[in-house]
Amino acid sequence: MVIVYAVLGLLWIAFSDRLLELLVHDAVLRDQLQTVKGGFFVLVTSALLFELVRRGQKRLLTFGTEIRAAVESMVDGVLVIDASEIVEANRAAVELLGASGKQEVLGHLDTFVRRFQPRSTDGTPLATSDLAASAALRGARNTRNTMLRTLDGRDIVVNVSAAPIASPGETQLTISVFRDVSHAHRLETMRDEFLATAAHELKTPLAVVKAYAQLVQRRVPAEAPALAVVQRQVDRMTRLVQHLLDASRLRLDLGTGPRERFDLSLLVSEVIDRLRESDSGHQLTLLAPGPVSVQGDRDRIGRVVQTLLDNAVRFSPRGGPIETEVILDADQAEVSVTDHGLGIPLDRQERIFERYYRAHAGTPEDYGGLGLSLDMSREIVTRHGGRIWFESTPGQGSTFHFALPAGKEPEP
Amino acid sequence: MTPGILVVEDDLDLLGLIEMLLQEAGYRVRTAIHGLQALERVSDEMPGLILLDMRMPVMNGWEFAREFRTRYGRACPIVVVTAAENARLRAREVEADAWLAKPFDLDDVLRMAARFLPQPSGAHV
Repeated sequence: MVIVYAVLGLLWIAFSDRLLELLVHDAVLRDQLQTVKGGFFVLVTSALLFELVRRGQKRLLTFGTEIRAAVESMVDGVLVIDASEIVEANRAAVELLGASGKQEVLGHLDTFVRRFQPRSTDGTPLATSDLAASAALRGARNTRNTMLRTLDGRDIVVNVSAAPIASPGETQLTISVFRDVSHAHRLETMRDEFLATAAHELKTPLAVVKAYAQLVQRRVPAEAPALAVVQRQVDRMTRLVQHLLDASRLRLDLGTGPRERFDLSLLVSEVIDRLRESDSGHQLTLLAPGPVSVQGDRDRIGRVVQTLLDNAVRFSPRGGPIETEVILDADQAEVSVTDHGLGIPLDRQERIFERYYRAHAGTPEDYGGLGLSLDMSREIVTRHGGRIWFESTPGQGSTFHFALPAGKEPEP
Repeated sequence: MTPGILVVEDDLDLLGLIEMLLQEAGYRVRTAIHGLQALERVSDEMPGLILLDMRMPVMNGWEFAREFRTRYGRACPIVVVTAAENARLRAREVEADAWLAKPFDLDDVLRMAARFLPQPSGAHV
């Protein structure tokens, strides 16, 4: 259309004057015809332009209607937020929030917070600035689970994804897409609570067995070696139970463990001392630069160290040295544990941090375990803003590292 | 008379063992199998140390600790003995003076008693 318009226009400009000169010889008449021709040109081009604009507008309108219909028909709730104002909500959003109409959902984010009482999944109330949409307004795409109280009085858990809308103008547009995950969340909470109770109930009888074994050991020193075995197995069982408990608790109280400042070197040396007592036939060495201050949940970090050392011992069945090193860099504290044992088969290395995955399952080197400890370790380390990784050569051994942000000054 | 130790624990096997252990070490020991019974024991006579299990029927450790603090403040140290995942956290919740994670070593129990109470005379362990 545009091309036709351009070609016709150019042809007219180029040839109409020549044609007029050829056909009309009377100068006065030619001038009059020139004027009429000019008017005609303006008329035709205006009509063409008008048609062009009309078609473009129609296309835009159709496009807009289609987009609107698509958003409106989405199964997920959609909110469009301009600055801090919810300016659009689709039908799913209105229904999900138990509102009777769009107007109850639209409005300032502060009103939304008052009306729908957003909370994190542990029940902590969220302020406007804590919302996924607010983070998106600050430019960060993000996804999180949030609890809401619907207008018809139900508590639901929604999974919200919010992102800034790329737009050339100055407008601060963001889009929030959310879906009801209450059912899945409830199941997960129930499973975790069950796991926590089960693990707790398992530990109590273990405590009794261990205490009585110690009592008998005191009274009948001749049976000490046998009773030491009982205690060692109780300790092992306790650790397995602890892993189960950890797996569930970590998901229940997301990072609400105590955050204290402690000496990582001291913690590692305590774990190694405990391990030396069990006399596994390995030479445990520790290289540490002196006190290394980090902040976090000391018990849980201790469990990570314990896990790495347990694995090193377990997967070097022929004994040998196990070297642990604490390294303090400018801004991070690293712990590495090296064994010279079995190593991890190459095709299984990728999956070893997966929950329930056991790299040596089904091989002659299957020494049991639940496949939880590395998954938990990674979760613990990640919660502390750190990372965990390894190198391993089958037949030669493995080195596992984890690094945490190091604190420079102890907090007052 | 030196103040005794009140052991609050719903598992009778464990309760019996701790009682025996502390008695053999020369301490005066009284026992309770839940928080409510423990409050009765306390009102009879203020102990010098309370070893407190957390998960118990009738009245659990949290409720007992809250009630105890309301009535008596910090009249006596409380040591939380728990199989919960994070004993330290549980101890902080009830403002306990110390904690013991289950399973514990018998020596830890004795160390805890020695930390809060004068060494008893006539110990025979």
